Amino acid sequence: MRTISKLMSAALLAVAAPAAFAETGHGANTEAIIMFLLFIAGTMGITWWAARRTQTTSDFYTAGGGISGFQNGLAIAGDYISAASFLGIAGMVYVSGYYGVIYAIGFLFGWPVVMFLVAERLRNLGRYNFADVTAFRLEQTPVRILAASASLLIIALYLIAQMVGAGKLIVLLFGIEYKFAVVIIGALMMVYVFFGGMTATTWVQIIKAVLMLSGGTLLSVLVLYAFNFSPDAMLAEAVTVHPYEAELMSPGEAVTSNPLNALSLGLALAFGTAGLPHILMRFFTVSSAQEARKSVIWASSFIGYFYILTFIIGFGAIALLVRNPEFFHTGPDGSFNMLSDLIGGTNMAAVHLSNAVGGSLLLGFLAAVTFATIVAVVAGLALAGAASISHDLYANVIARGRSTEKQEMRISKISILVLGVLSILLGIIFEDQNVAFMVGLAFAIAASANFPVLVLSISWRGCTTRGAVLGGFIGLVVATLWVVLSKTVWVDVFGNAEPIIPFPNPGIVSIPLAFIAIWFFSITDRTARADRERAAFEALTVRSQTGIGRSGAVAH
Amino acid sequence: MQKDVVEQVLNHPKYAALVKGRTRASMIFFSLTLVIYAGFILTMAYLPDVFARPLGPDWTMSVGLCVGLLVACSAVILIALYVYFSNKWFDPLLAEIVRDVQ
Repeated sequence: MRTISKLMSAALLAVAAPAAFAETGHGANTEAIIMFLLFIAGTMGITWWAARRTQTTSDFYTAGGGISGFQNGLAIAGDYISAASFLGIAGMVYVSGYYGVIYAIGFLFGWPVVMFLVAERLRNLGRYNFADVTAFRLEQTPVRILAASASLLIIALYLIAQMVGAGKLIVLLFGIEYKFAVVIIGALMMVYVFFGGMTATTWVQIIKAVLMLSGGTLLSVLVLYAFNFSPDAMLAEAVTVHPYEAELMSPGEAVTSNPLNALSLGLALAFGTAGLPHILMRFFTVSSAQEARKSVIWASSFIGYFYILTFIIGFGAIALLVRNPEFFHTGPDGSFNMLSDLIGGTNMAAVHLSNAVGGSLLLGFLAAVTFATIVAVVAGLALAGAASISHDLYANVIARGRSTEKQEMRISKISILVLGVLSILLGIIFEDQNVAFMVGLAFAIAASANFPVLVLSISWRGCTTRGAVLGGFIGLVVATLWVVLSKTVWVDVFGNAEPIIPFPNPGIVSIPLAFIAIWFFSITDRTARADRERAAFEALTVRSQTGIGRSGAVAH
Repeated sequence: MQKDVVEQVLNHPKYAALVKGRTRASMIFFSLTLVIYAGFILTMAYLPDVFARPLGPDWTMSVGLCVGLLVACSAVILIALYVYFSNKWFDPLLAEIVRDVQ
């Protein structure tokens, strides 16, 4: 095992790296590469340590249930603050000011929803993933097919968005080739997850979250220092230099031109979190409902804190970057447009800012942390995907519960390899596609398919298999079709002239529709199975409230 | 889980109180979350001028940005309060039920 890890890292870094650098004309950022190598060395050590502790399926998917609430909170924050959301929100603030703030608040409000509606009961009812919970008293096969379909679609969309965004970012940050960047991410992810399972993935997330929180704090302090620690002075400068001027401080066109769309987006952001398979999976790594609670309070504190840093970074970038023409493509007379001429696009605002206030050392640090973030988030997604394939589709649908632990573990490991290769291929295929809509669609599906089924199956006695499956699939199909027929895909990706659906966010229609469909198809379900399922609600409630009989209470 | 354990828990004198209290707590907290969040989004969408105003005569920061920060903090505060109430009221009750049953 040790030799394999060493070989992998040696192959990745020593042999392939110089060749790839030579092919692009960009200067490689030495500080960034050294810091990223340190991160890989550290996490490989952890993977080696975790591999010895990963024997059973429970170790593989839940780290044996031995992660503390605080550690899990950090790991959730690590999972949640992807490079896309950090650089994306900072970039959105850079482009349109207040509009970016709205996104961050929506993402943050996913957490009270998770806490008040699902977190504790989820922990008490499930083993490896949230499908265990929805299938607790409903019929295994259809419910797990629904959960796996929605989860794998969400994971695929998220993976593509991460891989493509990440590949491009790494080209700019490290000066290496796109395909090479995508292969490094996929390969590292496979090593972490294949050998170290949830234990290694969790620790990679924790390290990355700590690095990201400290890097963000340092960057924000340096930005505020430039304005004598007066946020308002920073905002005043931002308003002076930005083309939107005072508009920067108000909700802006994007919201006021279509309030329903803004409302719809807000719903998907807030309810989507409680349906994201890779986030929900983290709740099975702690030992009890109390620890699950602690996870949420820590996670939401870190995430909230980090978003506030992101606002400082975004507005700081507006105020400070214009002073440095070297970050822009300048015309012959040295003029530039601060929005369209930023090198690498506006998502690079935070990265350029680190160079502006902290020099190449901070730039290198932030670049390394960003790379680490991408690998960590991709690892978390792959693990959730493997759980869907091996635990839902294989163990409970194909083998109908007759598989052994060993078989399930083998399928898990094969799934990881397949997902790793698939994510590299998808990253390469989608290189030049517009993937901006994918994370939004993933949240919409999570909010419209997984979230309603999960909430109603654990808190409404009347919920039956027929209702849950039909309602969940209706939510899934409506959310997907809506996005495909709206401007984001129909016009921006397929190149049609006019969208068929008036606004791009489905949440306001698809979420209530899924709830109503589950309700309607449940109350009209008069089968004997439905009666059994309603009768089983008492046992579910006892377990969800008390945790008596729950799995994985201790680490071994 | 054995059937008799479920029966035992269901018949425990404090179980009904636990379920009722917890359900009520999560409903109250969830409603507060919705009111704050929906209030924020609806104000932003339908009364954008309120949010566009500066905080005061010498301020650049707008009402909307300041409210946004407070709303963000409120999410964490609500979660913290819920954890506090759960630890204080529901955990002792739960510990008692689990002790009596097992």
